[in-house]
Amino acid sequence: MTQKLYTWTILSLVLVFLIGPFLIITAASFSAGDTLAFPPEGFSFKWIVKVFTVESFRESFVTSIILAVGGTLTALILGIPASYAMSRYKLPGAETVRFLVSLPIVVPGIIVGLALLRYFVIPLGISISLALFVAHTALVLPYAVRVVSASLNNLRSDMEEAAVLLGSTRFGAFMRIVLPNIRGGVLAAFILGFVTSFNQVPVSLFLSGPGVRTLPIDMLGYMEIVFDPSIAALSSLLAFFSIGIVFAAERFLGFSRYV
Amino acid sequence: MSDAPYLSLEKLTLAYGKSIAVENLDLTIRKGELLALLGPSGCGKTTTMRSIAGLMPVKSGRIVLDGKDITRVSANRREIGLVFQSYALFPHLSVFENVAFGLRLQGMSGAALTEKVDTGLRTVGLSDFSARKIPELSGGQQQRVALARSLVMKPKVLMLDEPLSNLDARLRLEMRTELQRVQKESGVTMIFVTHDQVEALALADRIVVMRNGVIEQIGTPEEIYNKPASSFVADFVGFENIATVVGNKLVGSAGEVTCPATLPNAAGLAWRPHAVPLGSGPYRGTVRGVSYAGSSREYVLETPLGPVKTEVDAALPTHQIGTELAFDLPPEAAAPLRKIG
Amino acid sequence: MFQNRTEALALALPAALFAAIVFLVPVAILLSEGFRTADGWSIQAYIDFFSMPLNQKVFLRTLRLGLTVTFVAAIIGYAAAYAIVTLPPSSKGKMIGLVVLPLMISPVARTYAWIVILGRTGIVNQALMTVGLTDGPVRFLFTETAVFIGLLQLFLPLMIISLISALENLPRDAVPAARVLGANWFQVFWKVLLPLTREGLVIGGTLVFTGSLTAYITPAILGGSKVLMLETLLYQQVTVANNFVSASIIALILILMSFAANILLRRIASARNSK
Repeated sequence: MTQKLYTWTILSLVLVFLIGPFLIITAASFSAGDTLAFPPEGFSFKWIVKVFTVESFRESFVTSIILAVGGTLTALILGIPASYAMSRYKLPGAETVRFLVSLPIVVPGIIVGLALLRYFVIPLGISISLALFVAHTALVLPYAVRVVSASLNNLRSDMEEAAVLLGSTRFGAFMRIVLPNIRGGVLAAFILGFVTSFNQVPVSLFLSGPGVRTLPIDMLGYMEIVFDPSIAALSSLLAFFSIGIVFAAERFLGFSRYV
Repeated sequence: MSDAPYLSLEKLTLAYGKSIAVENLDLTIRKGELLALLGPSGCGKTTTMRSIAGLMPVKSGRIVLDGKDITRVSANRREIGLVFQSYALFPHLSVFENVAFGLRLQGMSGAALTEKVDTGLRTVGLSDFSARKIPELSGGQQQRVALARSLVMKPKVLMLDEPLSNLDARLRLEMRTELQRVQKESGVTMIFVTHDQVEALALADRIVVMRNGVIEQIGTPEEIYNKPASSFVADFVGFENIATVVGNKLVGSAGEVTCPATLPNAAGLAWRPHAVPLGSGPYRGTVRGVSYAGSSREYVLETPLGPVKTEVDAALPTHQIGTELAFDLPPEAAAPLRKIG
Repeated sequence: MFQNRTEALALALPAALFAAIVFLVPVAILLSEGFRTADGWSIQAYIDFFSMPLNQKVFLRTLRLGLTVTFVAAIIGYAAAYAIVTLPPSSKGKMIGLVVLPLMISPVARTYAWIVILGRTGIVNQALMTVGLTDGPVRFLFTETAVFIGLLQLFLPLMIISLISALENLPRDAVPAARVLGANWFQVFWKVLLPLTREGLVIGGTLVFTGSLTAYITPAILGGSKVLMLETLLYQQVTVANNFVSASIIALILILMSFAANILLRRIASARNSK
């Protein structure tokens, strides 16, 4: 009995600490008052509605979606062949390749953003949008390689050999045999990459300019100026958005198997 | 079966990086033959098979198939089939689509394709399974699909990697007959790789025994079984008593004995347990182990040569452990070996 | 394993080159700025950097926060992970899901919630005043405590998950066996649990420590300019002071600490694989 008491005391405390703030901010976003407060003053949807009317939120939301989708797709296009080379070939310099593609996990994002701004955007005249896109692609690359590699390593390589012996080219075998069988892993990598890129802040800090701003950066700027529940409303909307994606992925894919 | 060589391996050397797996291998295979590559793991048999298929680059030497040098021909154009040990079926495709895979790549479709696939599935007795998914099949059925998938391509040579090792004992017998039937019906030249001498002896027209990347002996099952060329082959096919011949002495693992009879001109001699008479003969040994095996009883004797195994009729009275007995190693009942070690 | 090297390189090169051009080259140039002077290379900038009290303070604070967050996360994480692995399988899965859930939520959203809780009119202050512990609101926001709480909430799930997988790999009945042999709970923890879960602890610790060191959002929102950490200092140096030399030095410090932690992590992971 004491064991059970211990278990539930600890777990409720930890959950209150981890999930509680999220519930409070959700409640606060339904406030009818004009200042951020908990318990909320009255109940209304006005702040939720307001989020959708703020022009810059709409723009930066679209920017973030494009970045997350485009960056993750590009990372997969680069990462899948690299993972395939590392898992199926005797790749010269495999360790160097592994090191290079895992760099974005080790190097803090803020440094990358600054470096790109200072040495690419300013001197070479590369647009901030492109730099942002490249930075987000690089950021997602390690996750893409990790998840896809895990899927590839779970797939027996003699299937490709069998396809080749039946007359297929190596590329054909990859498209017809390998890709359909690692589909789940690729989708999981996409979702993981999307969520990572969408929520990312440090890499985008220095890479914003007029009209180019990701949603989290926009929120950071907005909350310094405005102290009403709209950021709370947006935060809870975003939380539900991310959770919704991950839940759907888990439901239809068994997402957690791959991550 | 014609006698002209159909597939020849000429001075074939294969290597993984710097480590040589197969060295200077010469081997010819006749059309329609059923050949076994037999040897313990690491002997180079699988590597040899993979190089014939084009999955393993050749370091030096040639592979000639049907009069054409295919050493540098890529695997997808060699017209060689391979049934993998794991079967390597495509789990996302149905049985039908697995068998149709290669035919579709040749551009075949419609009624012609369906007919060919159906024929292939009928050959292996899986006519009713074409719509099934691969994970729904048993191991034995999966192997038949893999066999059909290779057969419908009408390969010049069909190779099988350890075809019976993943099956249980009953299925193994069934598949053995099945493989022989399919081979005789289709007339395809077949090479299979195995570490199991019983399988090789039962199935093959000819057996190639390999060891450490070189061929130890090539022969019919009868030749391999009765006249092993070396102590390695003898040991592999069940000659449990092997001795080196030095002058008129027999040398074993523990020591030597002098043979009263004249020894033949051979490097060594090998006896199966039933060829070692117990109770009479010039040598003496102490019983160290007895085991009952139905119609016979096996004894392990401790002798000056080392342990000697004999097998006698179970109807004879049992000797207790510790008893000292006479036994014989008659040269005329032994297989002469050309090579020891 | 295919043997064709050209094919292998052709497949791997785009990703490797991309990472090299986007990451390695610009970051290397940035790092070199801290050592470059008008007349050659020198470490003078580093000496200057570390002789400034503000920089010393921020550096030590970042280290201190990283270590305390890791330490507290380890203690809470242990208690939580042990409670979770003892649950029946059905509720265990759900509980793990609830612990992982916050990781999917935008850190900006998660951190912002603390403003509602710790603000002047936040719940904590309301509670304190209702109970009568204080007369006026206590300042929590823009203190080290707020940053500490924010970081702990952000990274605790990583520690719990690492410890859960370590505890699940524990040999069955190791704990009951130790109990039967007469160990008390403290001895069970110290002599059995801790040595057997050291790996998970180190993995979780590395994730929490590097996460805290390189956090930007939490110190930015909850610390502001009063409680700078290395990343917020870097941002300030660039945007306010236009000081790229300082930025370069901070970048190197961050990368070195992050690298060191990751190498440690990889060592442990490979030691486990080679077993």
